[in-house]
Amino acid sequence: MKKSILLAAITLLWSVTLFAAGSQYSLRIDGLACPFCAYGIEKKLIRTEGVESVAFDLEKGVVKVKVGEGVVFTESQLKRLVGDAGFTLRSMSEQPL
Amino acid sequence: MKYSQSLLTGLLLLFGSSAASAHNPVFSPGPHVLFKEGIEVHVSLDRDKVGQEKETELGLELTYGLTGDWAAGIELPYIKADDRADKARGTGDGRLFTKYRFWRDDSLGVQESAAVLLNVMLDNGDDKESPPLGSGTTDTLLGFTYGYESLKWYRWTSLRYRRNGENGAGLRRGDKLLLDFAVGIRPTPPSYLRPDTVWLLELNGEQDQRAELNGAVLADTGGSEWFISPGIFWTQRNFAIKAGVQLPIASDLNGSQAESDYRAKLEFEWHL
Repeated sequence: MKKSILLAAITLLWSVTLFAAGSQYSLRIDGLACPFCAYGIEKKLIRTEGVESVAFDLEKGVVKVKVGEGVVFTESQLKRLVGDAGFTLRSMSEQPL
Repeated sequence: MKYSQSLLTGLLLLFGSSAASAHNPVFSPGPHVLFKEGIEVHVSLDRDKVGQEKETELGLELTYGLTGDWAAGIELPYIKADDRADKARGTGDGRLFTKYRFWRDDSLGVQESAAVLLNVMLDNGDDKESPPLGSGTTDTLLGFTYGYESLKWYRWTSLRYRRNGENGAGLRRGDKLLLDFAVGIRPTPPSYLRPDTVWLLELNGEQDQRAELNGAVLADTGGSEWFISPGIFWTQRNFAIKAGVQLPIASDLNGSQAESDYRAKLEFEWHL
């Protein structure tokens, strides 16, 4: 009986952790030629509800955005956000964490 | 004497009106525009010397990003002027400015763009002081600028035309045409959170028309000057320091006029 309760608790904890892990968006952005200018993207993303972290790889033109559980961005949303920062969103992909 | 002082003040005030902000050259404008709803706080220190006349200007500039391609702002300068005979200090002419980036072509690690800009130089500075701290006129400047920015190389060019007004004493400083070329190099590949340095070299040309006093042309006014201007742009995330010095390399001034000795600029910039 004790073993069953422990197993159930572990399973529940595991599934909650998995569900709460959120996802990571990988944005290919054109025009990223300097870190100072790229700050506008960080500022816009970090102000968006559900965004947990933003990381830049300027040489590859990639911005990785970690978001919390249940947070979903559409391509048009991100295109507008990146455009408001003065750049062009070329492509995007989403991966669960 | 007073008219030559007014002319000098006007020229020096123009020096501070390049709208050189964000990732743009130090002494000339570039097409880069602040992001939408962003705020830029810009503090600059300018030091100029022309013959016996020296001026130091502390400027506070605030810019707001209206869209991703359009920004506007205001600059309020505090000036200390010294022409050896007299000294004066106080608020200089304020400036309202806007820039619109009408074309942008982005590719991997490269941004090429072009913008138009408009400045309105107000007449709030005290032009009764000696030396005068304001021009006593409302002037306008219209400009075009193009820029190519990559992870390694930068290049910019700009063309500006300044239309000067007439002050209460009937003096109208000559209109001014400015032509700039600039290149920049980043020796080390950038990383977002690491400090980033870009070295700059500018060529700045200025052509002044002769001034007029109540319709009569003043002989010892107007002409052209060219400057070579090394500079540096150092940034970390949302903070930037820019510095440079303008050194005259050629001048063709009408009549008897003192040539520029140097102009130096130090700027601090925060994007919020």
